[in-house]
Amino acid sequence: MSAVSVKESAGSFGWVRSAETARVLGTLVLTLGVIAWAGGDLFRQDLALLGATYALLALGMYLPFNLAGALSLAYSAYVAIGGYAVGLVATETGWPLPVAYLLGAVASAVLAVVLGFATRRLSGFYLAAVTLLFGVAFQSFLLDAKEITGGALGIGSIRPLTLFGGEVDRRSFIALTLLVVWIVAVAVDRVRRSPFGVALQSSRDVPAAVEAAGIGVPALRLTVLGAGAAIASVGGGLFTTANQTIGPDTFTLSLVMLAIFMPLLGGQGSAWGAVLGAVLVVELTFNLQIFERAGSLIFGIAVLAVLLIAPRGILGYAGQGARWLRGRLTRTGGTR
Amino acid sequence: MTETTHDGPYLLEGTGLGKSYGGVHAVDDVSLRLSAGEVLGLIGPNGAGKTTLVDLLDGAQPADRGTLTIRGRRLGGPPSRRARAGLARTFQHPHLAHDLTVRENILLGAAAPKLAGVGGLIAGLVAGAFRPAGARFEGTLRRVAEALELGDLSRRCGDLTLGEQRLVEVARALAQEPSVLLLDEPFAGADSIGIGAISAAVRTVRAQGCGIILVDHNVDIVASLVDRVMLLRTGTVVFDGDPAECLASAEMQDVYFGTGGESVAP
Repeated sequence: MSAVSVKESAGSFGWVRSAETARVLGTLVLTLGVIAWAGGDLFRQDLALLGATYALLALGMYLPFNLAGALSLAYSAYVAIGGYAVGLVATETGWPLPVAYLLGAVASAVLAVVLGFATRRLSGFYLAAVTLLFGVAFQSFLLDAKEITGGALGIGSIRPLTLFGGEVDRRSFIALTLLVVWIVAVAVDRVRRSPFGVALQSSRDVPAAVEAAGIGVPALRLTVLGAGAAIASVGGGLFTTANQTIGPDTFTLSLVMLAIFMPLLGGQGSAWGAVLGAVLVVELTFNLQIFERAGSLIFGIAVLAVLLIAPRGILGYAGQGARWLRGRLTRTGGTR
Repeated sequence: MTETTHDGPYLLEGTGLGKSYGGVHAVDDVSLRLSAGEVLGLIGPNGAGKTTLVDLLDGAQPADRGTLTIRGRRLGGPPSRRARAGLARTFQHPHLAHDLTVRENILLGAAAPKLAGVGGLIAGLVAGAFRPAGARFEGTLRRVAEALELGDLSRRCGDLTLGEQRLVEVARALAQEPSVLLLDEPFAGADSIGIGAISAAVRTVRAQGCGIILVDHNVDIVASLVDRVMLLRTGTVVFDGDPAECLASAEMQDVYFGTGGESVAP
C-alpha cells in the first residue's frame, strides 16, 4: 500500500489529521509550482493542459478500475462528450460555459450507468468489450453526425470562459484547470479512504462479503462508473475550453489505453499515483525530444518495467521509503 | 430455550427449503425456526448441506423451493437486501479484502447500513470526498474489536493467520449489528484464545436478543454454546433438539460413526 495508508496506520496519535493536512498542503504547493512553471510559455502551457486532462481522465478511471476492478473503455467517449458539450453550448447557446461542464458530466455519467447496467450480470470482460465497442462507435458517430458535431472538422471558435464579467485568458484558465485537478485528486483520494472507498476496494476482491454486509455490488459499481465518467468528462470540457476547438480526433481510443497504465506507473495505492502517472506520460510522449516519436514505446516499456520490478508504482515505493525513514527517526528521537 | 413459547412470529423461519444441483439434492425440504436470543447449531459431516443451507438463508444462492421469513415478513432477494433486513454472516473460507487493514474490513460491516441503496451510495461517495476517515463508526469499531480481542487494527488482513481472519470476519458481521447472525465454521483454524473470544461474543449478542445459527464440525464446541442443534445428513434434517440428546442419539452415532463411513473432522 501507499505512503498514505502507512501514515494512517499510526492513526491513533493524531497522525491521520496531520498527515492529511500535510498531503493536502503539499500537493497544493506542487500544483502552484506547476502553475508557476507553465507561466506565459505557450509550450509549457500546452504540456500542463495536456497533463491536467490526462490526470482527470486517469482519476476518472481510478475509481471504478483501480479501486473496484471495473474496467470501462468508453472513456474516450466520455472525455469527448465533455468537449463537445462545451463546443455546442459555446456555439449554439448563450449559456455560461460551466453549464456545459455540468451537462457533459451528467450525460457521460448517464451513459456510463446505462453501459454498466447492460452488462451488470455478466463478467467484467463484457463491460470492457461493450464499452470498447461503444468507444469505437462513438468516434464514427462524431464523424457522421455532421449537423451536430461538425463532422471531421469538429467545432471551432469556441468562446473563452467568462468569470465575473471578464474573459479568462488562456494562462489563467490553465491555472484554473490545474487547481481543478488538485481538488478532484484530493477528493478522489479521500473517497478511497472513506467507508465508500473501503466498500469499493472490497468489492474487487470479495464481492460476496460486500453483498453480505448489505451493499448491492451492482449498484456500487454503477455509482462509481458514473462518477468516474463525470470526472473524465470535465477533463474533456476544460481541455476544449482552453484550446477553443474540438474534433473527432481530439480524444481517441489510444488515449484510454494510455490512461489504463497511468495509475500503475504512478502507484495505485493513492489517487495521486494517477496524477503522477499522467504527468509522466506527458513527459515521456511529448517532452522528451531525444526519444523523437518513440515516446509511446518508451512508456510501454516503462510500464512493463514498473509492473515487473516495482508493482506498487512510484508512490508505493516512495511511501515505503518514507515509512523506513520515519521508523529510523522515531527510533533515534524516542517515543512520539 | 427449546421450549420457548411464541406469541408472535419466529425471528427467522424457513419452510421446505430446497436446493438441487442437477439430480443431487444438496438441501432437501429443510424447515427451521430460530427465536430471538437463541443459538441453533448446525452440524453434520462434509457434504451434509450445512453451508448450502446458510447460503439459502443469506441469499448467496437462491433457493429452488421453500419460503423464508424474518419476524413474519418474507425474506428474499440478493444478500444485500437480506442484510438490510437484519442478517449478517461469516464465510466458511474467510472473505476479507487482503490489501485492506483489519480496521477497514470491519468498517465495511459498520458502514454498510449507511451505504444501502443508490441514495445511500451517492451520499456515501459525496461524504467520502469531504470526510476521509469513517470517524462516526469509531465507537462500533472499538466495541467489536475489543469484544474479539483483535489488538492492532492497522495490520493488513492478508498478513493474518486463518484464525485471526475468522475473528475479523466475526467482528465485521457483529459491526452490522444484526438480528440474525449466521456463523459458518467460525472455529475452524482458530486457536484456543480465538475460540474463547468468538464463544464469548456469541454469548454476548445472544444476551442482546440476536438469533444465531452456528455451523461447525467441532461437535463439542457447538454443544457447549447452542440451545438447540440440528443434525444434517445429505441435505436432510435427521435430528432436531437438545444438544446433549443429539450427542447421545442413534442418528448421531450413525452419521458420524456408522455405515456412512465419514469421520468427524477436527
